[in-house]
Formats: sequence, C-alpha cells, structure tokens
Amino acid sequence: MNRSRFMIWLRLLWMFLKVNLLSPSGPASIGLLYKEAVAKELMTETQFVEAVGFSNVLPGSEALKLAMFVGFAAGGIPGVFTALLGAILPPTLMMLLVSAVLQRFQHAGWIDGFVAGMSPAVAALIAVVAWELFRATSRKTTDRRAMLIAILSVVAFWLEIPSPLVLLGAGFLGVILYGQRSY
Amino acid sequence: MEHLLQLFLIFLKVNLLSTSGPASVGLLYHEVVGKFVTEGQFVQAVGFSSVLPGSDALQLAMYIGYAVGGIPGGLVALLASILPPTVIILGVTMILHRLRREAWISSFVEGLTPAISVLMLFTAWKIFEKGGSDGWEAWAIGLVSMAGMLSKRVPERIVIVIAGLIGVFFL
Repeated sequence: MNRSRFMIWLRLLWMFLKVNLLSPSGPASIGLLYKEAVAKELMTETQFVEAVGFSNVLPGSEALKLAMFVGFAAGGIPGVFTALLGAILPPTLMMLLVSAVLQRFQHAGWIDGFVAGMSPAVAALIAVVAWELFRATSRKTTDRRAMLIAILSVVAFWLEIPSPLVLLGAGFLGVILYGQRSY
Repeated sequence: MEHLLQLFLIFLKVNLLSTSGPASVGLLYHEVVGKFVTEGQFVQAVGFSSVLPGSDALQLAMYIGYAVGGIPGGLVALLASILPPTVIILGVTMILHRLRREAWISSFVEGLTPAISVLMLFTAWKIFEKGGSDGWEAWAIGLVSMAGMLSKRVPERIVIVIAGLIGVFFL
C-alpha cells in the first residue's frame, strides 16, 4: 500500500468525523466541508461545486452524498468508504445513546412534558424547512411549474392518496415538465 | 424478523424518494407513525436529530429503528438509509458523463421537491394538532419558534431544546 495514499484516507476519515461532529445537519455541513476540502486542496473548487450540485439532484441523505463525492475526488473508491465511515459514525452513535436513554424513560412524566413542548417547535421547524426547500427550487427554474406540482400535490394529499405514490407522480411530472435539461 | 424486513423496506423507500434528512420527515411520518412508533416518539426523533450534530437522515433511522427492534433494528434502518445514495453515487461516479447527458434524474428530483414541501407542511400541521397540548400555549410556542428560526438569529437546535424545557416545566 502506498503510504501517501494511506495518509489521504486517514485525513479523509478525520475530516468527516470532525465535520459531522460540528454541524447539525447535511445542508449545514456544506460551508464547513468547503473550508476543509477545498482549502486543504483535497479537491478543486469546480469539483466541490459539482459535488454539491449532484447531491441536490440525487435521492438519499445529503451529508452522505457529499461525503462520497469528496471522498472519491480525494481518494478513489477507498476514499468513498473512508469518508462514508467518518460521516456515519458520529451522528449514529450519538443517536443510539439518546435513543437508549429515551426508551428507558419513555413513561416518565417529564418526557411527556418535553414532547408536548417540543411538538409545536418541531412542527414549526418542519414548516420552515419545507418553505426553504420550495424556495430553493423555484428560484432555479420557472415558478409556475413548481407551483403547479405543489397545487396538484395539495389536492392529492387532500384526497388521501398514499404519499409515496404522490411523490413518485410528482417526480414523473417533473420529468415531463422540466424535460432533458442539462445542468 | 418480519418487523426488521418491513423497517428495511420503509427506509429504502423513504431514502429513494427524498433528497435530504429534513425533507424525508413528511414521508417517514406517514410510513411509521401509528405502525411502528407513537406520535410522541416521532417528535422526539425529529427533535433530537435536529439538536444533535451530524446527518438528520441517519439519526431518524437510528432512533426509529432502535424503538422498533433495539440495536439490530437501528442497524437495519441505518443500512437501508445508506444503500440508496451509496449505490446511486457509486454508479454516478462510474458513469458520470453518461448521467450528465441523461438529465431526467435531475428533472425527477426537481418535480419531487414541491411535492415534498407540501407533504412536509401537512405533516407539520398533523404533528402540531396531535402535539399533546392544545390551546394557546402550543400556538405561542409554535409561533415564537417559527419566528426564531426564520430570523436566522437563533440556531434551530436551541429553539427545539428551549421549547422542550418549557414543556417540562409549564405544560
């Protein structure tokens, strides 16, 4: 095994452990990742922009997709897996701990209070993220098409059509409306 | 065993039909609440995944998986969340140039996003409605939280923790 390549994998692992310990979610980690990956010349600016673009248009967790793109640019396929490991370990281990504690206290009175207080805030959080998500896409393209899909979705959810079907339908409508645009 | 398989399929589906952790909350709610976890547990999962650092999608999977089937459940949900992006990206990195010309995937996601937003709004309302306390307190917490998050001055995780603490002491 080449020593310098091994060092790159080690740096990747450490970098993703750090980024995922310091940033609250996938989208929020982009700024920190940029500083780490581009400033330390693990990948070029163009490669980074391309990675963020692809992460936005492919399904699945955003943090993971970014990690894999950066990992691939810096260290090939083994780089993908080291970056993935660094991105997966911190959040899941912490959540495992929290889950275990919460399950134990599930019937304690203070948990009910905590959930009762958190529910409106969580609802607000989801609404805010929904709004930001919608705005981010409709700014890129014509608002009318996004509005049309949004209105059709409202009707579909109102009619209680199963949500995976609605999402699939919206996706295919997107293929028809937006067509084979290059990006 | 049956449970674990169902769990696996649900997380596979959710992660194929959403582009990030927060965006998957709407679909996940419909798939797991009432079947696998209670309303309250779901609120905990979303709340804590936005409070703790790191990917929300993985943390949601971990919490719900653990609630359903302990550590094996958590690992199964995790695996199902990791597979779709990994397989797709490994595919993309290999056939990058091909995918660029066939941009229908990006159009698919572009069409998906408004529907995801709408689904999230429906889910937000459902969580608010069933949140355990109705009346002016819940509205006050919800509106103040929203103002705080929209202003960008207060980090979301601080808002969520404060709201929970208010719940412990006043609700």
